Amino acid sequence: MVRRGLGGLVGIATVLLDDGLAAGRQGWLGRVDARAKLLGLLSVLVATTFLRNLGPLALCLGAAWALAWFGGLDMRRVALALLAVPAFTLALAAPAAFNVVTAGTPLVVLCHLGGGHWGPWRVPEFLTVTDRGLFVAARFALRSAACVSLASVLAAATRPQDLFKGLRGLGVPAAFVMVAAMMTRYLDLLLRSAEEIHLAKLSRSLGGVGVAREQAWAAAGMGELYRRSRTVAESVAEAMVSRGYTGEVHTLRQGRWSWQDGTFVAGCLAFGAALLALG
Amino acid sequence: MDKVFDFRGVSFAYPGREPSLREATFEVAGGERLAILGANGSGKSTLLHLMDGLYFAQSGEVRAFGQRLTPESVERPPFGPLFRRRAGFLFQNSDAQLFCPSVEEELAFGPLQMGWKEEEILRRVGDTLGLLGIAHLRDRPPHGLSSGEKKKVALASLLILSPVVLLLDEPTAGLDPRSQGILLELLDDLHGMGGLTLVTATHDLELLPHISDRVLVLGEDHRIAADLPTERALGDTGLLLSVNLIHAHRHRHGAMVHSHPHQHTRTHDHAHGEGKDHLH
Repeated sequence: MVRRGLGGLVGIATVLLDDGLAAGRQGWLGRVDARAKLLGLLSVLVATTFLRNLGPLALCLGAAWALAWFGGLDMRRVALALLAVPAFTLALAAPAAFNVVTAGTPLVVLCHLGGGHWGPWRVPEFLTVTDRGLFVAARFALRSAACVSLASVLAAATRPQDLFKGLRGLGVPAAFVMVAAMMTRYLDLLLRSAEEIHLAKLSRSLGGVGVAREQAWAAAGMGELYRRSRTVAESVAEAMVSRGYTGEVHTLRQGRWSWQDGTFVAGCLAFGAALLALG
Repeated sequence: MDKVFDFRGVSFAYPGREPSLREATFEVAGGERLAILGANGSGKSTLLHLMDGLYFAQSGEVRAFGQRLTPESVERPPFGPLFRRRAGFLFQNSDAQLFCPSVEEELAFGPLQMGWKEEEILRRVGDTLGLLGIAHLRDRPPHGLSSGEKKKVALASLLILSPVVLLLDEPTAGLDPRSQGILLELLDDLHGMGGLTLVTATHDLELLPHISDRVLVLGEDHRIAADLPTERALGDTGLLLSVNLIHAHRHRHGAMVHSHPHQHTRTHDHAHGEGKDHLH
């Protein structure tokens, strides 16, 4: 299970970081400047978090998918990110649908609880799904789906390196962006090291050795991973100093915006404002 | 030829450990091709780090381009930036050297730190990528490149600064034979055309004739065991045996079992007596 998990993580990191798969090269959305995409889509995303009604939330979700479709993105990639939403949302939002969490008019009676108290909590007579609870759960699910869709449209339409450039262009401190870029850069190296350590252990194992031994091995593996990470980190610092880094980050400037970039941002800002007006 | 490096009785130890370099004294002239040869852990990488002003001598003195290397001198203008531009260090682990999100930014990193104009940087990025035949990698993230491509990008990130000396730490380690060949030809061209000084740390005896005219041999006691021309170093079996670069072990020829010093990667002939000389 650990091997499959690590293998899966390496695969996901490879897919996410592989510029060849980034749909940023496809369609007009990919050609929009990273700063414009960041500014525009993040403004819609922020507006989404303030919405309280289901209609505007559904509209936002639909708009995100329409943007992905008409923007020429790889819809499978956007959909893949959305797969995580139901599991995440169900775990967090489902309890809100019941009367034990959200009071309201009962819509469906699920079972008889008998009333009384359980510790400091009052137990209702029946476990029911309430109208208010259902609304709260649906709002949470829709908001999550809309936000994840907007974020995956941004990620699918922009290569990681352009995303970091975009962040710098929007005034995020260069040192912060550099650290974030390095974390992304070395993520797959870290995962590959973890996989190697695990495979090295597997190749010398003959079946189960007991929980205590497995725990000891896991701790030793983490220690070795930390040691390797530190070694790489020290070498990276040396490589930076060797090429003239003295503690102040200097980066390339960004190109100018085109009229398409400006139009995209204006459109996103107008859409976000319209969503807020709809509530 | 002007002296590029001048080491006088240099010793260095990592905190809490035995010295990894003892009393090293030697000079490197401009345009030279020097190999630092030694077994694993003999202090080759430490020596390169000292040459690049990443570590500093705990006793003795290191001079580069006539200036003493100290933590202050390598940071303070005008010598600091000039030294960083003139000395390029190719790390053994390319992943550690390529830390930027794209190849273009990787090449631009050094010139940006030097305060070059952006138009000039972008022009030089294009020229350098073209020189190494990797212009198609310009927008790629380094983590997705092959080992050979990573090594070329790492080299390009140094060459863009037009260095006077290249410090190469096991440059062919982990490369397939074709990539090794391409890299060696490239280094040969750089030395031949540009008069670049090459200092290469390696334990690969096969590599020596291609990258060096002179060899500094480090012993397992972390002292310089010899400083001599490459051909003489390769022919000195006793020296190579004493510094753990070749070995002797038993092997069998039919019914006859014998042992003699050798390395597995080099052919050699030897005598058994009784007219049974042969080639390995």
